[in-house]
Amino acid sequence: PAGGVSLRRCSTRVSLEDVNRPVIDRIIRVDHAGEYGANRIYAGQMAVLGRSSVGPVIQQMWNQEKDHLKKFNELMVAYRVRPTVLLPFWNVAGFVLGAGSALLGKKGAMACTVAVEESISDHYNSQIRTLMEEDPEKYKELLEVIKQFRDDEREHHDIGLEHDAEAAPAYSVLKTAIQLGCKAAIYLSERI
Amino acid sequence: AAAAGGLRRAGWRLWRGGRGGGRCQLSPPHRTLQASAVLRRVSDEQKEPLASSSQQQFDSHPTNHQPEQEPQGSRPSYTGQGGQESEDFESEEQLQHRILTAALEFVPEHGWTAEAIAEGAKSLGLSAAAAGMFHSDGSELILHFMSQCNTKLSELLEQEQKLVQLGEAEKKPTDQFLRDAVQARLRMLIPYIEKWPQALSILLLPHNIPSSLNLLTSMIDDIWHYAGDQSTDFNWYTRRAVLTGIYNTTELVMMQDSSPDFEDTWRFLENRVADAMNMGNTANQVQSTGEAVVQGLMGAAVTVSN
Repeated sequence: PAGGVSLRRCSTRVSLEDVNRPVIDRIIRVDHAGEYGANRIYAGQMAVLGRSSVGPVIQQMWNQEKDHLKKFNELMVAYRVRPTVLLPFWNVAGFVLGAGSALLGKKGAMACTVAVEESISDHYNSQIRTLMEEDPEKYKELLEVIKQFRDDEREHHDIGLEHDAEAAPAYSVLKTAIQLGCKAAIYLSERI
Repeated sequence: AAAAGGLRRAGWRLWRGGRGGGRCQLSPPHRTLQASAVLRRVSDEQKEPLASSSQQQFDSHPTNHQPEQEPQGSRPSYTGQGGQESEDFESEEQLQHRILTAALEFVPEHGWTAEAIAEGAKSLGLSAAAAGMFHSDGSELILHFMSQCNTKLSELLEQEQKLVQLGEAEKKPTDQFLRDAVQARLRMLIPYIEKWPQALSILLLPHNIPSSLNLLTSMIDDIWHYAGDQSTDFNWYTRRAVLTGIYNTTELVMMQDSSPDFEDTWRFLENRVADAMNMGNTANQVQSTGEAVVQGLMGAAVTVSN
């Protein structure tokens, strides 16, 4: 609601006393930034390829990312985590990446999807490992969420491959460049 | 037996302060260690006469010792000179906490200084040398006070929230909530208002800035959290920055305010909060206007191209 604040339900409160705050803070902040960025990437792709044959596929993946973002918004409020300062930057950078890769054609857009989704699922996997090492019982809910989302992202990755991502122009260069960008984004969003 | 136990506890406490300081290898606590070691040696040799004088000291602060023993569970056992520390005894941190809390009483007279801390230590029956555990500029005392105030504020807001959830109180509109929260927090300064400007300048010293900033930001975050802020975008930062500005300027106004019950300060606060709310509305209006203008231009472009 514009300008107003909504009443928070009691059930969204999480017991904050016994969680490992630094670790959880980082995890939620970077995941939130990631889903936000993914949203913007698909928005950029749709802006260019929305009316093409892969439009529905991209729209489908975009809808799932919107759900992911919604979930992380809730988790962010529940765990009282601050969002990354770089959100306005990811807003623009994500859209530019999506639109730019889509301008290389449908295969280009799919190549971008493959690169990003592979980065994200690797990243989720290492978070799952961290949480399992910490305390699988305490973080059960968070682990469920991340595992589910990791599976979704893997699915997106496979969809990208199915749609001839590998046939995109300069596929390996594109993929490496995008994954480097993702690594930098993850590093920064965890800290800032 | 009780008297000797009292003396042992009083001496043990002093000694503990020294022992705890020994971990950090600082010289001031060693002075305390030596002083209290002498006290204990003497006490062991001459239990009777000393026990009676310490009993007086012990008796004059029963309330200080009792509450502390209760939470510990079983009574600490004294295992003799140079014996192992008992697990159930208070930690150095808890001791420092107690000294600083006691020292607050002496701030209006002595300011935020090592003198106040020394007086506080003495009021607990400890040696004034215990003030050597802390920085000479009184920083820890100020930070301790701020931290206490923040905790009190959190508890107050938590209680208010419970009342609203139980339906026993109306949910306040945001501007009133912010006004009340800031006022409640600033009112905690009133007993120390004479010396607070001194505290503010000490907090600006480079070595204090990280801690004081930390306390300030967590307090502001708490207020917004209880106000019901659920933003997960850049608004999160904007709102906190605005409230920090409101809090800091109101605090400064309060230092200069001589009106009855600080009326002028609360009026200033009300105006600033109203400004902030207007700013939010204006930002929204600007955005809607901007969107409308863009749509108008697009429509015009389409018309012209056809």
